[in-house]
Amino acid sequence: MRTLSKKQLTLGIIVAAVLVIGGIRWYFSIRPSSSPPAVLIKAKGRPDAPIHVVEFIDLECPACAQGALFLREYIQKHPNQIYLELKYFPLENMHPHAKLSAQYAECAARQGKFWPFHDLVIERQPQWKRLVDAKPAFEIMAVEADLDLYKLKSCLEDEKITAFINQDKEEGRQKGVRSTPTYFINGKMVVGATALEEELTLLVGG
Amino acid sequence: MVGALFVVSGGEKLLSPYQNFLYIIEQYQIVHGLVAEMAARILPWIEFFLGIFLLLGLWLNIALRGMLGLIAFFIVMLAQAMIRHLPLDECGCFGSLISFPLPVTLSLDIFLLVLTFVLLRRMKDTRLLSLDHWYHKM
Repeated sequence: MRTLSKKQLTLGIIVAAVLVIGGIRWYFSIRPSSSPPAVLIKAKGRPDAPIHVVEFIDLECPACAQGALFLREYIQKHPNQIYLELKYFPLENMHPHAKLSAQYAECAARQGKFWPFHDLVIERQPQWKRLVDAKPAFEIMAVEADLDLYKLKSCLEDEKITAFINQDKEEGRQKGVRSTPTYFINGKMVVGATALEEELTLLVGG
Repeated sequence: MVGALFVVSGGEKLLSPYQNFLYIIEQYQIVHGLVAEMAARILPWIEFFLGIFLLLGLWLNIALRGMLGLIAFFIVMLAQAMIRHLPLDECGCFGSLISFPLPVTLSLDIFLLVLTFVLLRRMKDTRLLSLDHWYHKM
């Protein structure tokens, strides 16, 4: 049997490795998403706007707050240009209040008060993220966002809320999201608040 | 061990969208724009192939020297980030597989550097179970 030369073997390994990596990536790109459609869409802006932004956010991550504040200002400045959809991606191993903040936000969404609550949570993130127990801070923000506290309490106990949050996170994972904030601007993946600012400035202008 | 670590860490980066690694590179505040994008696309392949060749023991001398250079480069990047107090929660070296704080990763990289250096110095022993050795005998 003819033995492969060292150079032939090297070439074979390189080709095989590229094919394996390419094959796995291709398989995951064509695999249909297993998660059902989100029950409640948290979005703002005109759905027919030319730029669609899907934001995967951890409400406790500082870069997410920076990105969210930028987006709020940018949408106010360019109201017809951007349609923003938000999805949760809590990084519980890094941020102890990530999951709880998402639960409160989702419960606010159930009462139609998602964006006022979201804005408060983002603005006050430096204060509540330092707390050992952030629940009282979220309760105060819930009152300020005019939430029905009785409904909020039962909502927070509802296991479906956690399931919805996990569903968003799983969708993100399937799309390749690993850190926050990650954005999909007209389908193009952009990671980090600075990259978001650069991409939007490129598309819309300052 | 060094080879397997690099195969896994390079492979993980190659399997997830390159933007994730690009974000990590930009956090180190050394390169930006096109250079950062090129690095995010190329570095994981270098890591991956160096790992494979080291694991198989093929072109050992070149693979070990390449590995030594790469680990030294990672150490410099980590050290400068720590000296400049850059706001990095973790190094991002292993993609999303393992997450270590910067000082732990720096210690691990120094250990890997020493290990690779020893492997290079004791090439005769390192080669024993390698494909290089098998080709040499033929």
